[in-house]
Amino acid sequence: MKYYLLLSIFGVFANCERLHEQIYSSIKGGAACFRRLNGTHQAGCSSSDKGAVGVVQMISDITDAQWIAFNSSAGPYMAIVNTDIFKDVIEVLMGHPENVAGVVIFNNVTDSTFSFTQESRCPNEYSSGFENQCSSSSSFVWNDQGTGLLRRNIPFPIFYLPDSKMDQIEKIQECYLKFNLDKTNQKGRPLCSVQLNSFMFAAVNSEVCLRRSATSALLSPTKVCDPLGDNNVYYSLFPRPKEKETANKSIILVTARIDSASLFDGLSPGTASSVVGTVTFLTAAATLAKMIPVTEANLYDNNVLWTLFNGEAFDYIGSQRVAYDLKKGSWPYAPLKPSNIRLHVEIGQIGGAMTVHKNDNLWPLNVYAPNYSVYNTEVSEFVSMMLNNTMAVNYIVSDNLPPSSLHSFRKILKNVTSSGDLPELLIVDHDEIFTNLFYNSALDQSDKIGYFYHNISIGSDGTFLTTAELLLNGTMEEFEPQVKISRVATAFAKTLYQKVTGKAYYGNITASAHLVDEILYCLLMSQACRLLYAVDFAQSEGGEEKMPTRAPPLYVGVAPVENTAPTFAGHLLALLTGQQLNLNKTGCDAPPQPGYSKYWLRGWNHTGVCIQTTMNFSQALSPAFVITDYDMKSGDYSTWTESVWQTMWARVFVSAGGGGATVAVISGCIVTVVAALLTYWLKRHAAIAFAKAPAAVVVNEDAASGILRTVNC
Amino acid sequence: MDLNRLPNDKKLQLCIWYFKVGCLFLPFVWAVNAVWFFKEAFVKPPYDEQKQIKKYVIMSGTGAFVWTAILGIWVAIFQLQRVSWGATGDALSFIVPLGRA
Repeated sequence: MKYYLLLSIFGVFANCERLHEQIYSSIKGGAACFRRLNGTHQAGCSSSDKGAVGVVQMISDITDAQWIAFNSSAGPYMAIVNTDIFKDVIEVLMGHPENVAGVVIFNNVTDSTFSFTQESRCPNEYSSGFENQCSSSSSFVWNDQGTGLLRRNIPFPIFYLPDSKMDQIEKIQECYLKFNLDKTNQKGRPLCSVQLNSFMFAAVNSEVCLRRSATSALLSPTKVCDPLGDNNVYYSLFPRPKEKETANKSIILVTARIDSASLFDGLSPGTASSVVGTVTFLTAAATLAKMIPVTEANLYDNNVLWTLFNGEAFDYIGSQRVAYDLKKGSWPYAPLKPSNIRLHVEIGQIGGAMTVHKNDNLWPLNVYAPNYSVYNTEVSEFVSMMLNNTMAVNYIVSDNLPPSSLHSFRKILKNVTSSGDLPELLIVDHDEIFTNLFYNSALDQSDKIGYFYHNISIGSDGTFLTTAELLLNGTMEEFEPQVKISRVATAFAKTLYQKVTGKAYYGNITASAHLVDEILYCLLMSQACRLLYAVDFAQSEGGEEKMPTRAPPLYVGVAPVENTAPTFAGHLLALLTGQQLNLNKTGCDAPPQPGYSKYWLRGWNHTGVCIQTTMNFSQALSPAFVITDYDMKSGDYSTWTESVWQTMWARVFVSAGGGGATVAVISGCIVTVVAALLTYWLKRHAAIAFAKAPAAVVVNEDAASGILRTVNC
Repeated sequence: MDLNRLPNDKKLQLCIWYFKVGCLFLPFVWAVNAVWFFKEAFVKPPYDEQKQIKKYVIMSGTGAFVWTAILGIWVAIFQLQRVSWGATGDALSFIVPLGRA
């Protein structure tokens, strides 16, 4: 019996949880909204430094949000909202933030929302060219469903839980049903609560936070924000050595955007917003490089310069920098004059229409060109070439161009762009309103274009199955995005071939849907993919399985950190378009031929290859952070910075009703008073209370002063 | 130190010494001086050095009070105006607050 008792006590201790764990249950897998700042404002969310605590309220419709704002009694509240009603609910809560501690958004797949975009109604409105007609206050807007939260200051923290984390929502809901159901009688009762912590260090605007980051005060060397930025990627069809005249060939500039954005940390899938465009760009570049081998460089007077811009979601960081550098004559490696650019073609947002045409073979595209194109033969010629090369596009002439990097060129290189000396055109999938209803959001995922990975192995020499083969053996269907992208990339490459050589292409080189499948997988699903492994620097350790199994972040991020996506795109361009040299690692380190650079990549058979390429990276950091004493409030260039934060966490717990605390305070006061009175009474009546109490305490003055004397100085 | 056990001339010496130290931008020493010698200056029956002590106690007390008033006003102005001073406000701050203006 004795042993049993001992054992049971031991058992209790062994199973014991810390008190903290008994009270709190952390909510895992959430992504927090964080703070970004521009030259004049702060945008995004922050909690207080101890975290925001609020009583849980599950929001099932708009009336629940109104109840929090107007009728609730035990506030502040934590609103738990599904994505499908988020757009309406957030406006109510932001209108009356006094009673709101924060918001937790979840995405229930069964009630999935038809639109979810936190981007402005007119994306990058204030960095647009001068002819821009889109204004957030008007009814004619590109991003009709936009809430603009990405650029608004949100007075409370917001956390997002993806559909894979529904168990966390169920945990909150269970606690909510147990404690909070009685809405009329909540005050003074124990309630299910959630605490969100996403405290942001930076505040006010970029000017203030950069100043504070630079201050070398004695006790506060804390960095509070960093400028946004990363790398642009460029690659020319033919080398452009600095020293030679060939660098002055007229250039056809082909651009696309590589980045995306969302309100939440680490979640910027950007499928329809940017990835489809990026992949079309990469595939077309690879196809054109096969159609025109670099050995034919001397035959033609034209060159194609392919450029991927980064940070375009935040006032066109990458393209602003390129336009600024072009104006100064310092971009790219062999500087280019704007007058050398014969035509600028931007592959814009083209993924949205795939959502609409997920189940058919259509992919309608539009080509936008500014008004001068009516007289400008370059543009109309190129459009008719596209049509001749089976790229079905609808031609729209308007000075009101959709959001794209063209706006940077139209703003910064106004002299040449408004006159039409630098003709421009833009390929998009929409006309007056975006077809992509998830523009720059956390839900712009691969399912939106109906993408499924086919997982076909690549030949050890880098050969991909052709689209025709894949269709013939039934691996792929015509309606799949891979096939559609490969078709458009082929047509686009053929058009560029015609533009460069002056004759139509009759060869049998086409873009491969197999390649498209692989690039999409790397950018949308997992970094542990064949292509990323093949284009990795060969010296880096670890196998394919060592790479993270999530998609690479497409948010541009802060300038000091290099992201995977542009490096991947650059190396992939190098591997697909560059020449393989028969050199070992040491030979590859030797200086390259003029106009080239050399990369030692892992290669298709993973043994390491030396690639000679014209691909290069250029800094995508806004000119605002390059110009000394730039006026951040001028609005000329992008001024976005991102706040520093220390932790982001969320937890659920049952908060005390407050009754216990009140009782404790009152009883404490009573005990103190009683004890004081009792002591006083005892002192006065010591003779009664104690039988042999001394009559009085005799203090020996002499003795005391003797002690004092020794201590004293 | 028990002032009662000091001879009167030493008391005066000590009071002057504290006043002088307080002149080195140390108002708290003045405040201590004023409180410490208050009884000697105003309560104790008159003696030779008392007049002098009284003078230094009044000077120390006034000095400490003026310092407190000036510092108080500066703290109030700084706290209320720091944000609107912008860069100057940050430059004057020892610890710049995180996450707010």
